[in-house]
Amino acid sequence: MKVGIIGAGVMGLSTAYYLSKSGIDVTVFEQKYLLYGASGRNSGGITPMIDKEELIPFALDSLRLYDALPSEVNFNFLFRKDGYIRLASDENDTEKLRESVSMQKRFGIPSKIISPDEVREIVPDFNPETAVLASYCREGGVIFPWPVIWGLARGCRKNGAEIKTEAKVEKIERNGNRFSVYVDEEKHEFDVIVNSAGAWSNEISRMVGIELENRIIKEEVCVTESIKPYINPYIYDISSGLYVTQTARGEIIGGITGTYVDTIDTSSTIEFAVRYARGVTRMIPKLKGLAMLRQWAGAYDEGRDGLPVVGFTEVDGFVQANGLGRHRGMIVAPSLGKELAKLIEKGENSAIKKFDPQRF
Amino acid sequence: MVKERKIVCRCEDLTEEEIIHAIEEGYNDLESLKRYTGATTGACQGKGCLMHIVRILSQKTGKSPDEIGITTQRPPVNPVPLYILSEGDVE
Repeated sequence: MKVGIIGAGVMGLSTAYYLSKSGIDVTVFEQKYLLYGASGRNSGGITPMIDKEELIPFALDSLRLYDALPSEVNFNFLFRKDGYIRLASDENDTEKLRESVSMQKRFGIPSKIISPDEVREIVPDFNPETAVLASYCREGGVIFPWPVIWGLARGCRKNGAEIKTEAKVEKIERNGNRFSVYVDEEKHEFDVIVNSAGAWSNEISRMVGIELENRIIKEEVCVTESIKPYINPYIYDISSGLYVTQTARGEIIGGITGTYVDTIDTSSTIEFAVRYARGVTRMIPKLKGLAMLRQWAGAYDEGRDGLPVVGFTEVDGFVQANGLGRHRGMIVAPSLGKELAKLIEKGENSAIKKFDPQRF
Repeated sequence: MVKERKIVCRCEDLTEEEIIHAIEEGYNDLESLKRYTGATTGACQGKGCLMHIVRILSQKTGKSPDEIGITTQRPPVNPVPLYILSEGDVE
């Protein structure tokens, strides 16, 4: 079996890694360079504290994989496990926070409700007036997304997979039981195609006549100059969408949860820079003297019912692996990729049935 | 013993040797080299080092500076303190 994977982000490379580990012939196509898409533009928050019950087993499994993979692929992912805080700055969101924590507890996740004053015990300069209630989980923290991608790519190559960069797929043709993929006038033949193109998945899907209709989200992120270790956990305000933490390089990184857009747009705006600066200096006032060094934007996708779209489609051999959604692509992808590899190998895998593309 | 070190990126303290090593590791396009080494992502945002990085890439890969291109330029042009940005006049 020959598998062609379109998109070398965390989802495509995880799938490629586990397929090639089983000896399957895999080629990955990346339209630009590694890290061009959302896997290279996010801030690396990792936590099992997610709202979607269906995804929690995959978050927990990915946490285990993030421990195992670095030595498997011989690359340090720079995962700093200093915990994750989700807070509500709006009274109306406190119930959501409580429900989310009691659901997570059923999975054995050590998340707990804490007060704004207790947040100060974890982040001493946090302004408790900017939260009504918070939840905290000591598991998880912040990973550096770049070495995750480089490491997975290294693992794939070691397993014999090929990763082609600057290789934008222009056309996919179905010939009997095989697919022809056209890149730069070159034709590549595959038995199975995996669409892990993130925000570009709708376009790839259309090439085989499937209207995927994933929602596209544009999100902006920025970093300040580097300082000594100052913010340990990852902090995310579920009401305003503002999030902030510190990178392995010492930069204070943060952003605001994005908005739905009709077309992919990765332009930076002054509106974001101002809104973020206001929000983050209110949350942690001592940051106000730090300078913003660089801002950027990224685009990602979400299944139209909020769940990922992973599995076989009505076009035999064409597989979806996209729509991972907000604040959880990096969190669930390693496990989803591993399970998808099983599905492709064995023809069935009940673990990911709920993400079946044919559920719509 | 002081080794001969040619610093090509002062913000991130990178030597020419380190850049060459990264290119040899396979990070041989400008965007990948930038991310792998951190070159052009420091306080100067590439103003001091980008041309050195392009020169080394050109020498190592045989590509012309035009083929190599430059990194995506990201705002702000110079670092801006958050308290100044937060006074910005936008809704």
